[in-house]
Amino acid sequence: MQQTHRLTSGIDGLDQILAGGFISGASYIIQGQPGAGKTILSNQIAFAHVARGGRALYVTLLSESHERLFQSMDPLRFFDRSQLGTAITYISVFQILRDEGLDAVVKMLRKETKRQEATLLVFDGLLNARDRADTDFDVKTFVAEVQGQAAFVGCTVLFLTSSGVSEVNPEHTMVDGVVELTDTLAGVRTVREIQVRKSRGSRALGGLHKFEITDAGVTVYPRIESLPRRPEANIRAETKLSTGIVGLDDMLGGGLPAGSITLLAGPSGSGKTTLGIHFLAQAHEAEPALHFGFFETPDRLRSKAAALGISLIDKEGTVLTIERMPLADNILDKLAHQLLEQISARGVKRLFIDGLGGFERASVHRPRLIEFFACLMDQLRANGVTTLATWEIRELVGSDVAAPAREISAILDNMILLRLFEEDHHLTRTLSVQKMRDSHFDAAVHAVDFSPTGLAIGEAFGARQKPPHPLQTNG
Amino acid sequence: MAHILVVDDEFLLAMMLTDILEDEGYEVDTVSNGEAALAAVRKQRPDLVITDFMMPMMTGLEFAEAVRADAALASLPIILVSGAQGSIARERPELFQAVFDKPYSNSVILEAVATYVQATED
Repeated sequence: MQQTHRLTSGIDGLDQILAGGFISGASYIIQGQPGAGKTILSNQIAFAHVARGGRALYVTLLSESHERLFQSMDPLRFFDRSQLGTAITYISVFQILRDEGLDAVVKMLRKETKRQEATLLVFDGLLNARDRADTDFDVKTFVAEVQGQAAFVGCTVLFLTSSGVSEVNPEHTMVDGVVELTDTLAGVRTVREIQVRKSRGSRALGGLHKFEITDAGVTVYPRIESLPRRPEANIRAETKLSTGIVGLDDMLGGGLPAGSITLLAGPSGSGKTTLGIHFLAQAHEAEPALHFGFFETPDRLRSKAAALGISLIDKEGTVLTIERMPLADNILDKLAHQLLEQISARGVKRLFIDGLGGFERASVHRPRLIEFFACLMDQLRANGVTTLATWEIRELVGSDVAAPAREISAILDNMILLRLFEEDHHLTRTLSVQKMRDSHFDAAVHAVDFSPTGLAIGEAFGARQKPPHPLQTNG
Repeated sequence: MAHILVVDDEFLLAMMLTDILEDEGYEVDTVSNGEAALAAVRKQRPDLVITDFMMPMMTGLEFAEAVRADAALASLPIILVSGAQGSIARERPELFQAVFDKPYSNSVILEAVATYVQATED
């Protein structure tokens, strides 16, 4: 089969959802309401194209002046004024459209594409061209002629249009692909999404994918669920990783199975982060560790560890990385991509996520959370990462485990439960292993003590020593 | 009445510059690319040309080169107004009487125009 030649968009996530980039010599409609990001996206693609040695022709109709456009792009890192007028040319064909009509524009575009030796043509203003056309047939003819003559010289075409979201226009039938950008409100936050609505000859990643616009331009985060599945890493089943707590390793039958995902559930103050610190402190060169947290700042985490006699600083930069994602308008898939990039860049084998609630907070479409976590966990398993992830149980004191944890637990390999009980005005912490996939474990509930050297597993509550009755609480 | 030719593919910018110049008493024509400008200067013999750089068919630079190569037009004053290509044009002082970066202030342009042509009150 002949390999399709692709024109990279210069945006990794967009190339991914386009199954490798735009098809060279093909034509696409980029559609979205004003402000959705079409102009930035198309300019970014054009500058990426010229940076790779291509030549671009950017054609406008009745829009902002080119100089205003350049000023608005000055802060964007991809924008390079030195390419203007040389590798990338901006022209307006408004007067030709107004005075001579669509046919004259087609002729002009043919001449200019040839004159500029353009390998990418961006036509910004298909909606204005539609306004000038007498019938839908005229618009289709215009699109067909422009793309036909561009394809003849191997030039890829992007038609930009601000038609309404979800609107299917007659010209959609003419082009090879349609990419739609949307900008909607979810509660009080803005959510930007991109969708490949049509992709002739390519198996694009369907559905909505989040993107953001920063000074780096457009960054697209393909939906984790849409990424190709990868096989689990080949790890010997009996390999165990120490939690850093002797008694807990014993309960787990030697430690956490390598490459497995463990949920550490418990209320606030039950010792989840402390347990994570023990786990991270076991990092060494063959097992680099990553702390991916939402709550503790790196300084607070270091202080917390130091209070337990553990120095995280000694390991940082070599075998331990501490990442904090503040809880502020996070993008769910961005978090997942950031996590996976860190893992791949640093060869992380020990991962502590504190906690899964940080992902849950970033979610604007909650029904997908279980599938999201399932796919994220699959990616972690494929990387051979042994993961410990916390889940906060709302009930501060007591034995109830909130329903979401049960749903999540189904997609995880192991589950450890930390609980707080109150008896005689005194808090008791307990730890129990709820499940271990394909592995024997100590099912007894153990007392947990905070000692000067950290978390220590006490004796099991046996038949003669029942755990205290949990108190009924309001929460 | 001094006659000025404004050359810019960006319609709104050409219209604004035309208005400013007409208010000062100049007679103004506009065209939207260098090729049309070359035809216009040969036919109309304006007193001055104000041109953009990036345009279809023929850039402002190519237009100026063509004008300078034509003995009959060689002394025609040309002012270039450009966003990012001002530096390219400044490397060719033999082509342009003046080069201004967009956005420019009206008074600066009018001052330069007055240097090369005689404004006429209407």
